[in-house]
Amino acid sequence: MTEINNGNGRQTRYVGTRVPRVEDRRYLMGRGRYVDDIDLRGMLHVAFVRSPHAHARILRIDTEAARALDGVVAVFTGEDLADVPPFVTAIARDDVKPVTRRVLPSDKVRFVGEAIVAVVARSRALAEDGCELVEVDYEPLAVVVDPEEALRPGAPELHEDVPGNNIAHIEMENGDVEQAFATADVVVTKRFRSGRVIGAPLETRGVVADYDVGAGQLTVWTSSQMPHFVRTMIAPTIGMSEGTVQVIAPDVGGGFGLKAHIFVEEALIPLFCRRLRKPVKWIEDRIEHNLASAHSKGMIMEASVAASRDGTILGLKGHYIADSGAYSIYPWTALIDPLPAAGCLPGIYDVRNVKYVVDAPLTNKCQTSAYRGVGMTSGHSLRETLLDDLARELGMDPLELRLKNCISGEPYRSATGLPYDGGSYRECIIKAREMLDYDAFREKQAQARSQGRYLGIGFSPYVEPCGWGSKGAQAIGFPAQFYDTVSVTVEPDGSVIVSSGSSSHGQGLFTTLAQIVADRLGVKIEDVRVVDGDSTRASYGFGTFASRSAVVHGSGAFRAATDIRDKLLAIAANLLEAHPDDIELQDGQAFVKGVPEATVPIAQVATVAYFGGDLRPADQEHSMSVTRHADPEPEFSNGIVACTVEVDIETGLVTILDMASVEDCGTMLNPMIVEGQVFGAVAQGIGIALYESLEYSPDGQLLSATLMDYLFPSSMDVPHIDTAHFETRSPHTENGQKGMGEAGTIGAPAAVLNAVADALSPFGARIDRSPVRPEDVCNMVRGAVVAV
Amino acid sequence: MVSAESRTTCSVVEGEIVCEMVVNGEPMKGVAEPRTLLVDFLRHELGLTGTHVGCEHGVCGACTILIDDQPVRSCLVLAVQARGAEVRTVEGLATEEHLDPLQTAFHEKHGLQCGFCTPGMLMAGTALLERNPDPDEDEIREYLSGNVCRCTGYMGIVDAVKTAAAARRDRATTNGNRA
Repeated sequence: MTEINNGNGRQTRYVGTRVPRVEDRRYLMGRGRYVDDIDLRGMLHVAFVRSPHAHARILRIDTEAARALDGVVAVFTGEDLADVPPFVTAIARDDVKPVTRRVLPSDKVRFVGEAIVAVVARSRALAEDGCELVEVDYEPLAVVVDPEEALRPGAPELHEDVPGNNIAHIEMENGDVEQAFATADVVVTKRFRSGRVIGAPLETRGVVADYDVGAGQLTVWTSSQMPHFVRTMIAPTIGMSEGTVQVIAPDVGGGFGLKAHIFVEEALIPLFCRRLRKPVKWIEDRIEHNLASAHSKGMIMEASVAASRDGTILGLKGHYIADSGAYSIYPWTALIDPLPAAGCLPGIYDVRNVKYVVDAPLTNKCQTSAYRGVGMTSGHSLRETLLDDLARELGMDPLELRLKNCISGEPYRSATGLPYDGGSYRECIIKAREMLDYDAFREKQAQARSQGRYLGIGFSPYVEPCGWGSKGAQAIGFPAQFYDTVSVTVEPDGSVIVSSGSSSHGQGLFTTLAQIVADRLGVKIEDVRVVDGDSTRASYGFGTFASRSAVVHGSGAFRAATDIRDKLLAIAANLLEAHPDDIELQDGQAFVKGVPEATVPIAQVATVAYFGGDLRPADQEHSMSVTRHADPEPEFSNGIVACTVEVDIETGLVTILDMASVEDCGTMLNPMIVEGQVFGAVAQGIGIALYESLEYSPDGQLLSATLMDYLFPSSMDVPHIDTAHFETRSPHTENGQKGMGEAGTIGAPAAVLNAVADALSPFGARIDRSPVRPEDVCNMVRGAVVAV
Repeated sequence: MVSAESRTTCSVVEGEIVCEMVVNGEPMKGVAEPRTLLVDFLRHELGLTGTHVGCEHGVCGACTILIDDQPVRSCLVLAVQARGAEVRTVEGLATEEHLDPLQTAFHEKHGLQCGFCTPGMLMAGTALLERNPDPDEDEIREYLSGNVCRCTGYMGIVDAVKTAAAARRDRATTNGNRA
């Protein structure tokens, strides 16, 4: 573990440096190509009639008037698609119930916003006109929006195949938890409700499908993080082989996990296209997005910590109840929030007696999905606010409490079975304390209080599972295979194409993967081009999510480039009459070590590989393309987010004063991109802590479907963020990198919440929810108890 | 199920209106329904897809363009309202050879990730720098507060606007010296 100062002491040319992004230019010029920018001749447009009821039987659908409207080409209901196989969300665990979803329901609706009828017309406006003319008769059914209500006997049931609504009840215990609690000096318990939020990328979802009748080939453009997996899923749904379906994720305007799923619209638009033999487009509008894409992180949680008087944590218990929504999202299931939340219960603390319970009841709301940090955000906020409560209970400094219980930097297996690969857990805490000038802040805080001003400071150290390979997924409770493949091809002129199973949507993978390959082959980065996000043109993979691309695609690219490097070395050695071991590749040249005049351009080596006749060594095949897979062991990034706030006790307004993020993601492939990910993730964490919440009425109406009601943090709300880095190389990846990008969203909410509680400690404030809005602050100041 | 009424040809809908405007210095013409939003007209009628639609209700700022030098959300303007106007969009900022100083600064300071908010940010930033060549950080943050970025936490964007302001001043000084 080393503290990093701008990537000094590197052996490589590009990896570890702030290479400006190669993908920027077209975005800056307005020449990006997102799904809605695709315009095909004769293209038709889809709008959906969506349910106004949270739970209702569909009695009758009358589409006559819509069909008769000038410009409407077709109307589809569930009856029209009765022969289409449904989505079945299941994972290979006996304790998880599969949930079935028809692509359009014909029997009943289960949440407000569920698509019921699709109108296809010559323009989007005409399709929406058509929707206005569709009449649906409903028989409203009893609604359940609260997850604890949904678990009670006699609660309304959403699915016949899930009696009792709970898709899974999972328990885990390590050590002797009851004994730990029985012998503890102090037990602190907290109930915490984390608000429903939404990833809400600025580009909504969208799908375009085009069927080539002559070739029997379907092309689907979708704003997705996982185009290969979308193809694998929708091909059987639309009755085609994978080889005849090309799924392309073109430029994607943000995803944040929300687009790492397969949605019914991604099957419906291709189905309409196949049936109508015309290109078909659907672009989700913002209200549809908020209503009917996928929500995240809403949970009711309870945790207890047992400790001795000196602050030693003896045991931890947690219960995580997901607010799953109406379906178990494909492919991850509704466990995507509560199970990772529970698995991360011990965090960076050395606690052996740990017990958790997870429940995932279905509710009459939009389904829940992955969103940056998944359920770890909520689980982390629960644990870290609980620890601050414990510190106050013990009269102990919150940093001292954390340092006392912090694991060492060595590899460590958590009580929940996560194999941490080593980190800088303590060092990050100490660094953040320095960055915020902790002791000076405490003095400032005391002075401010004497003037009636309320300042607070909060710390939130994290460890983040990343990479999402097969073993990492298994460790968190999702048994399936997750690997990816990467191909590297050297073209005849020496330029390089990298074809990756990733699907870049803002992370700068066209730059970072090119950095890795350019270093490996000794070529200039401008000669390396990365292709991904395309099921036909790019090598198979599961896509970009769960902080996995740097490790999975990065390692695959490194390996494939290494194999190609060996071929270049063999050919160059032949040309330079030297041994391959003595050849170096650098700056576009192959040369013999120590013999600078014995040089041949790599471009020429490539030409020889293709057209060189006898100059090519006989044992080298012509092929200059190699595909390798990567499925690394799990990696765990770590770090801390910390901040200071001022709370106005009159208005309830929270202002963040200073914000610091220290992270350790092993080797930073590109520190500029790493910091960009930190900034963005922290900003989203601030939104989760203070602003963002999808509120439902008791009858299941979404009350925050617009961006007037659902508040994104603005440039006025996100402060300047200071960063620092440590580097504990992962033993499991080719360059020592770990995944990153989610930690800010995992860590920042608890930093803000703890700072607010610290500011309001004279009022005995305890944080029991996120977001904490002005009214919640005022309630804490007044000592008013509002149940969550 | 295909409606019996389905059409194979696309006729001009009654009531469509011809809209002429100058876009990025070039006179342009297209047709729009009275209800057509300016952003949809720019994107789908004129083919200028650089301007993006993020919310269609005037909150996110992705569709920000300049109309007669004023920053405007083009999802809150009808195409017919922009007839005769001077419109500037992201496509007008760069030449094939040169990005403008604000675009260059966004590149250097990592002011973009997914690129979706970028056109709106660039146009709002352009409007700011045309009004205030030397904004401080608070002024930049306030001016851009109507433009949402979901990726960057605004750090690179704010930095880029500061950097571009300095570059524009340097350029102005250089030009002034030459003159």
